[in-house]
Amino acid sequence: MSSDQDHLRETDSEARFEFKKEESSAFRAEKGDLDEETIRLISEDKDEPEWMLERRLRALRQFHAMPMPTDWPGQPDLSEVDIGQIVPYIRPDIDTRGGVDDWTDLPEEIQDTFDKLGIPEAEKNALSGVGAQYESEIVYQNMQERWEEKGVVFCDMDKAVQEHEELVKEHFMTNCVPASDNKFAALHGAIWSGGSFVYVPEDVTVEMPIQAYFRMNSEGMGQFEHTLIIAEENSEVHYIEGCSAPQYSEFNLHSGGVEVFVGENAHVQYSTVQNWSKNTYNLNTKRAICEREGTMEWISGSMGSKATMLYPSTILKGRGATDNHITIAFAGEGQNIDTGAKVYHNAPDTKSTIESKSISKDGGRTNYRGLVHISDGAENSSTSVECDALMFDNESTSDTMPYMEIEESKVDVAHEATVGKIGDEDVFYLQSRGLDDDDAKQMIVAGFIEPITEELPIEYAVELNRLIELEMEGSLG
Amino acid sequence: MSTQVHANLTEEQVKQISEGLDEPEWLLETRLDALDALEGLEMPDVIRTPGRNWTNLYDLDFAGFVDPLNAAEEKDQVGPEEVEVMSIAEALDEREELVREGFGSVVDPEENYLTALSTALFSTGTVVYVPEGVDAEDVTVRTRMNSQSLFNYTLVVTEKSSSVTILERQTTGDEVDGERYYSGLVEIDAGENSNVQYGSLQNVDEETYTYTLKRGHADSHATINWIEGNVGSRLTKSSVETHLQGEGSESQIVGAFFGHNDQHFDVAARVWHEAEHTTADLVTRGVLDDDARSVYEGVQDVGSDAWDTSSYQRENTLMLSDESEADASPKLIINNHDTEASHSATVGQVDQQDLFYMTSRGVSPRMARNMLVEGFFVPVLEEIAVEEFRDDLSDLVAERLRE
Repeated sequence: MSSDQDHLRETDSEARFEFKKEESSAFRAEKGDLDEETIRLISEDKDEPEWMLERRLRALRQFHAMPMPTDWPGQPDLSEVDIGQIVPYIRPDIDTRGGVDDWTDLPEEIQDTFDKLGIPEAEKNALSGVGAQYESEIVYQNMQERWEEKGVVFCDMDKAVQEHEELVKEHFMTNCVPASDNKFAALHGAIWSGGSFVYVPEDVTVEMPIQAYFRMNSEGMGQFEHTLIIAEENSEVHYIEGCSAPQYSEFNLHSGGVEVFVGENAHVQYSTVQNWSKNTYNLNTKRAICEREGTMEWISGSMGSKATMLYPSTILKGRGATDNHITIAFAGEGQNIDTGAKVYHNAPDTKSTIESKSISKDGGRTNYRGLVHISDGAENSSTSVECDALMFDNESTSDTMPYMEIEESKVDVAHEATVGKIGDEDVFYLQSRGLDDDDAKQMIVAGFIEPITEELPIEYAVELNRLIELEMEGSLG
Repeated sequence: MSTQVHANLTEEQVKQISEGLDEPEWLLETRLDALDALEGLEMPDVIRTPGRNWTNLYDLDFAGFVDPLNAAEEKDQVGPEEVEVMSIAEALDEREELVREGFGSVVDPEENYLTALSTALFSTGTVVYVPEGVDAEDVTVRTRMNSQSLFNYTLVVTEKSSSVTILERQTTGDEVDGERYYSGLVEIDAGENSNVQYGSLQNVDEETYTYTLKRGHADSHATINWIEGNVGSRLTKSSVETHLQGEGSESQIVGAFFGHNDQHFDVAARVWHEAEHTTADLVTRGVLDDDARSVYEGVQDVGSDAWDTSSYQRENTLMLSDESEADASPKLIINNHDTEASHSATVGQVDQQDLFYMTSRGVSPRMARNMLVEGFFVPVLEEIAVEEFRDDLSDLVAERLRE
């Protein structure tokens, strides 16, 4: 490898993700303050309408009433997740109401953070709009004018509650991800903060991706951003989410919520490359509801975190709706990535494909956990699930636990999974062409994950590859 | 969660069963321990997704089924001369040491509520002992259940370099009022380089609930091949399992089920790769008609010492009606990277093109469907080396299709 590339790796990747900033905040809820009073304070701080406060309080009650998920076969150990130790809310020291729309208006430390992550560059080069979240709040949001003119809305969730109240009231944690869905969805419903709101009107195609980047910078905090995407009939949008947090000794909790409404014949692609620090518990709920002839695509790369439990799901509600999942998980030392996909075929002629790849090394553990449900009446539905696992060494573990619930006979369901180690022959072959062992393996991994990277815009594909290189560096052999 | 069945059961009953078999003290103790343990034990694992048990064993009325002192059955247990095929009472008489060593060595009697119940109450059983170097075919065990409940126990021990083929059948005979319960535990201890084929064909009436757990330990270079056919019963919970404990050991689990009416099959095929160079092949095919429901779980667990593992699994379900329901969960648990493993599962209906093709050649639609169903079982039937067994299974399939 050339020294240029080495340089790029070092300065770019490592510096990009591992630097941290002195904390400075304007409003900080203290650890263990997960009670009604805090919820009221957060809601008041955000100047929310009464109905939102009510939803938060109801979610809080549901959270306290629900047990921790503990009895799933092979699930990550959550015993360390003590909600009492989480700082639920930090508003950075900047007036974020509505965010700033000029990058240079951001405080220098925040600017610097996102500069290092490469967000402004990407915005200039390839994106329709970009939002950046620091701690609990969106600090920057910008949308290219030409999309705004067509009625596309991209703003932070807090602003959406104020300015698009009816849309939010109708869709926010009602049908798609109700707070009662699971304990962490309830937690999220109670203390959510920040995140993105995307609205694409009928017949509008947003040709370039919209991006949001989430950064956790404070120790021991929880981040609970909410993303709500509404794509009306015949519209099309690609939303990309990136996340990172530096390494701290205490654990962090990320418990986001994503709700996507895919209108008739609309097409939404949701791509995420998450690289939380290795002390972060990443416990998310992401779901889409897809109307007639609509298409939902989930592209996920799960790299970081200590433990992830995340199963993006799609409800194929209208006839002829389609869902595609492409996921890749990479677990290194001490990591347990429990991820997969869920699809509910609730209408006839619906289709889904799930392609899941995982790589585990140095004792990392990856699980594919999936559910394909075909309801009675969803005739002529078809689904195919493919899981491939690549293992580097004998300390690592890889499990696939797909579940298939089929209530309809006129269907076509297929599941396949394979597990293997990196092919010695392939390595040998590449070595005989002059590559060293590490590079050969890296090349094989790059080939293995290609189905994912080719779905991503080039910047993200590059980032994903760099992250994987970083994970693999020096530990092969 | 707990069931109430143990409330009806007493030590006296267990002692009476034990006396009837003229059992040694140790076995009675084992039974009484199992009876005692009932209180604290859970039902066997079933596939769960959060909020849902795919087979709810806790809802079953075990107190109503279990009638421990009135067990009645007809039993044939025969085999060629070179191999010892004994009733449990004979085996306790003639080969007590063998039974003592084998009993509970593969399936822990207190593994779950139903294994403990079986251990406390079994009244009939078969022991098959195959001495070193002996090749034996055609060991046949037929059990016809004539009572409300029946608890059956089978132990197979094969010595070094021996081989044996065992065919087991369960049916119901005399009618009884209401629902009934059949429970069978099978333990196989396959010695070094021995070869066991164990086929089982369950065709009890559709008022009967069955629980069977069949498990084998395979020593170095031993092979345990299972064939598991389930046709009868109201509800079946069956698990067929091999622990590949010795280097180079192998196992094949071939399963077939055919559900109609409101039958429920919860079938599992599980294999643990615990040593180097082990191979497993799991093949299951099932057909569902009417309101029938199947839950399939396949597990390939590759341990960290299981270098050079090959493990394959495939499961296919064919659905003939809209009301039927099929669930499948083929799991791969991999702790060793020097592994070639794959699994696949499919669910589908009769291929419309095939159907069209056949009807266009003058075959009636019903006949065409039946031929395709029979064809669907062929890959499983082909894996069955024993002709008699293959014929029996395909006859049962054909019979059901004629209904």
